[in-house]
Amino acid sequence: MTELIRKLTEAYGPSGRESEVHGLILEELSNYIDGYKFDAVGNLLVWKYGSSGKKILFDAHSDEIGLVVTNITEKGFLRVDAVGGVLPQTFVGHRVRFANTVGVVYVEGETEEERKKNWTNLTLDNMFVDIGAKSYEEAKSKVPIGSFGVYDSYFCEMGDYLVSKAMDDRIGCAVIVELFKRLKSCPNTIIGSFSVQEEVGLVGASVAAYTLVPDVCIAIDVTDSADYPKAFKRHAMVLGKGPAIKVKDKASISNRMIVEKLVELAEASGIPYQMEVLAFGGTNAAALQRTRAGVASATVSIPTRYVHSPSEMVCKDDVENTVRLLIEYAMKGV
Amino acid sequence: MYLKELSLINGTSGDESRVRSFIKQKIQDKVDEIWEDRLGNLIAFKKGTKANRKILFAAHMDEVGFMVTNIDEDGTLCFAPVGSVETQVVLGKQVKINDSIPGVIGFKPIHLQEKDQLLRPPKFEELRIYIGAKNKDEALKMVKIGDYVNFVTEYREDGRRASGKAFDDRVGCSVLMDVIDIQKRYENDVYFAFVVQEEVGLRGSAVVVEQVKPDVAIVIEGTIAGDDPGLEKDRWSTHLGEGPAVTFMHSGYVVNQKVFQAILSVAEKHGIPYQFRRRTQGSTDAGRLARTGPGTASGVISVPTRYIHSPVCMIDFDDYANTVRLIEKILEEGEVFAK
Repeated sequence: MTELIRKLTEAYGPSGRESEVHGLILEELSNYIDGYKFDAVGNLLVWKYGSSGKKILFDAHSDEIGLVVTNITEKGFLRVDAVGGVLPQTFVGHRVRFANTVGVVYVEGETEEERKKNWTNLTLDNMFVDIGAKSYEEAKSKVPIGSFGVYDSYFCEMGDYLVSKAMDDRIGCAVIVELFKRLKSCPNTIIGSFSVQEEVGLVGASVAAYTLVPDVCIAIDVTDSADYPKAFKRHAMVLGKGPAIKVKDKASISNRMIVEKLVELAEASGIPYQMEVLAFGGTNAAALQRTRAGVASATVSIPTRYVHSPSEMVCKDDVENTVRLLIEYAMKGV
Repeated sequence: MYLKELSLINGTSGDESRVRSFIKQKIQDKVDEIWEDRLGNLIAFKKGTKANRKILFAAHMDEVGFMVTNIDEDGTLCFAPVGSVETQVVLGKQVKINDSIPGVIGFKPIHLQEKDQLLRPPKFEELRIYIGAKNKDEALKMVKIGDYVNFVTEYREDGRRASGKAFDDRVGCSVLMDVIDIQKRYENDVYFAFVVQEEVGLRGSAVVVEQVKPDVAIVIEGTIAGDDPGLEKDRWSTHLGEGPAVTFMHSGYVVNQKVFQAILSVAEKHGIPYQFRRRTQGSTDAGRLARTGPGTASGVISVPTRYIHSPVCMIDFDDYANTVRLIEKILEEGEVFAK
């Protein structure tokens, strides 16, 4: 599974440009699904039929945060705006990868005072991207306005931990891929939704459950892990203690029946788990539950350090145990 | 072009009936079907010759404005914005309450301002509208709480530019009315939605997808120019005179890549000048159309507009004409969206 995670996290897929990720997922899943389709906004939906008449949808978003080129200066430097919740600090001195060009992100400042001010009040408005172009024309031909970029970061293993950009939410994608691969004779119909544009405002998930009308939705996403020095002290989630069963975040409250079922199944099969209450943030569950006349929805999270940075860190055991828990739910959850 | 008439009509979010009647009266004989839905959207339909796909164009009828929230003992009116308007642009402006009563938004003259407050924009709490009433009782005979308030702005055409109020999004309405006036029939079914309450949160468009079930939707807007001499060019959003602005992303939505590319390729093929909308702030009904029901692949084309959400906006006639032309060509090409 580590190789799958590497492939998915290193893939290029900012919001609205998820096709490379979708391609990799379809390649992985071709022998394990009964069908797939892309819906009107570009969500990739895959499914495997069961005979119970019940349908469970597992969702992970395929997009990642990034930057988008808004303007090009006369000398060939790029101006950018954020795609999703980007902390400008995470890009300074770092590289941004466009579809086929890499750029360096840095900060303006014409005087010492201005430089100091810009570094302390960092916004993308006082930053720029250098792609090594010597003119407006050259920059435009390589990275036209409207081009999307992501962190130019690489995957690595650190003992029990995995680090990469875009764990949010390729780790969720990897979990669902693995779930389909391991699922044998499941009574329920299982739908995988690799939805688009979560990071800019749950766009894909708002419609992902519309066409296939599932009975239950579970979003798989990352959550804050509060186990590093001076981490968010009101959060309980830590790496290594298993999947986090979300009770609540700022955008949704997980359906109580699903939460209780997940806990029951984890206990019964000896799968470690932790409970999650996230003070901020939200997942696709918030949008999925509002589809049509409403769908019971919840989130299962993979605790992750340094979310929305080029180096998001997860624990291998948590990933494995998330897959195990979701297999239990797929088989016995409804 | 119906911009002059449309600009002079008052129609803040929730109060679009005058705009709707005007549009309806002008287009009803030129379309195959027209209806008003329960939220107040006006939707017109023109049947295609092959009719295998449906294209929806949408423009919002509402403009930003204000509402009377209270009446003080001295006969002045407290008011709050409807849609996003900042106080900087309202000081000393003439307004009309309930489409009939003239008023003025007062402010402290410069002589009475504290020096360190000169640059501080006031809060709406500190502002009042004066309607010439001596006291509360007299004011109550003229206005009531909940009345809408609009800017009073003369519509003008100076050279290649028009200025007036509410170009966001009466310019979009006018563009679509001009497209209807072309009176051509295209291969695809075409729907024109003039929607309500965009400025208060993309509300009207939320019920359009269910009624139309379009294959593709394109929102026509009057969008931020920001081509301000005080800003460096590489911080502008659009520039008047450089053509219709095509959006790749705005707040809450990345424009469907196929729709985005299709718009560009039609413009290139027919030599229609265009520019990108080069900032991502602000949102449009495209975000709502993408998110409702089964979802809709949606795009945005805008007429660059200076000073939107203020008493006076400005557009360029060439940009306007090229927007109409671009839509006409998109309709002629039709199948470009199937790719």
